[in-house]
Amino acid sequence: MYLVANIDQEICAATSCKLCTQYCPEANTIQYDTELGKDKGFKYGSAYVAVDRCKGCAQCVWVCDNMAKHKAIKMEMIDQIGDQALTENISYHGKTTQAVLASPWKS
Amino acid sequence: MSLDYVKFTPGFGKFMPKEYRDMVEAGPFGKKTTVSQVGTFKEILEEHPMCAGCAMTLFIRLAIIAFPNPEDTITVGTAGCGRLAISQAAIPFVYGNYGDQNGVASGLSRGLRLRFGDRPKDVVVMAGDGGMADIGFAQTLHSWFRKEKFTTIMLDNEVYGNTGGQESGMTNKGQVLKMAPLGKKFEKMDMLGMAKVAGCAYVATVVPNNPRRVESVIKKAVLIAREVGPTYIQAYTSCNIEYAIPTDQVLQDCKDVENDRYKFTEYLTDEAKEHLATLYGYKEYLPKPAAALTKG
Repeated sequence: MYLVANIDQEICAATSCKLCTQYCPEANTIQYDTELGKDKGFKYGSAYVAVDRCKGCAQCVWVCDNMAKHKAIKMEMIDQIGDQALTENISYHGKTTQAVLASPWKS
Repeated sequence: MSLDYVKFTPGFGKFMPKEYRDMVEAGPFGKKTTVSQVGTFKEILEEHPMCAGCAMTLFIRLAIIAFPNPEDTITVGTAGCGRLAISQAAIPFVYGNYGDQNGVASGLSRGLRLRFGDRPKDVVVMAGDGGMADIGFAQTLHSWFRKEKFTTIMLDNEVYGNTGGQESGMTNKGQVLKMAPLGKKFEKMDMLGMAKVAGCAYVATVVPNNPRRVESVIKKAVLIAREVGPTYIQAYTSCNIEYAIPTDQVLQDCKDVENDRYKFTEYLTDEAKEHLATLYGYKEYLPKPAAALTKG
């Protein structure tokens, strides 16, 4: 098993700083969905991780803890996290992306 | 080289991989995309085999996002870590033999100017400190003395990271590495000074822990290189393997090194300032009104 980044959508959707999307060394790995938090009543959308591209370097954790000071990202084992995004389930809609979250482990 | 080269042959789109379809439909070609929009469009860079948490990858990703016209850009590289990521992007990449990347780029840049005339076609060289300051040193400096109009970006990780940790000309004095057990005996080469002496129109140092600054530096360098002269960017992109930096501390290291010896510096010639102000609307370089006039 290996670690991947997991973004807490409740913290992310309350602040929406988008810093982690800019500091990830992998392309199209931390994406942004403007609708992800709104159905739960939050003001903004949330960032999410395409777990099939994440190499587990934890730079986003440092950025979220030390630069944004939100502490929304944790490294977790891929078989123990809940529903996540995979590249094949992400679609692009102009100013946002949309991800169908599913368990990466069971599929 | 045009927007058409990224599109599918009609009828074949459904057979293409998802990443390719996303690139055509939601990529940055022909649009103005900025670093602040990252995460909402398909990036030109794809998955690549570079180490987890590499600061060089972060810089390359930001640089490719920042190209002013990605559909009209060709990148040139050489042996070293950087080419592993630069070659995995949806823009043409030319691989020079070790050290001749600036020679290849000179010919390419002249050829594109002959073929396309005034239409901007950007050539961007991205190579490591070994390819540029040691083995390709003569070709790099000669291309600047000849005033070849293209951008040169040094990915300075201060070590030969790909071959096991030998010292390079850009390693700091006294640095002990796996293949330099006695420590380096001489100072880090002053490539910035040499670039200014050789006549570069724009010289800058940058560290990838400020994405918007990286974007602004790359945009200025590419725009100036279109008409004014050679431009040079030296970017600190640490090697977390050879310098044993934990991957979650890479950005802290970038911050420390920026405060210590890699402060942001920017040098423009007057001609370059005028070029940016008149053609591309950079307000900070517009000539300032004389003091007497503003007082009156």
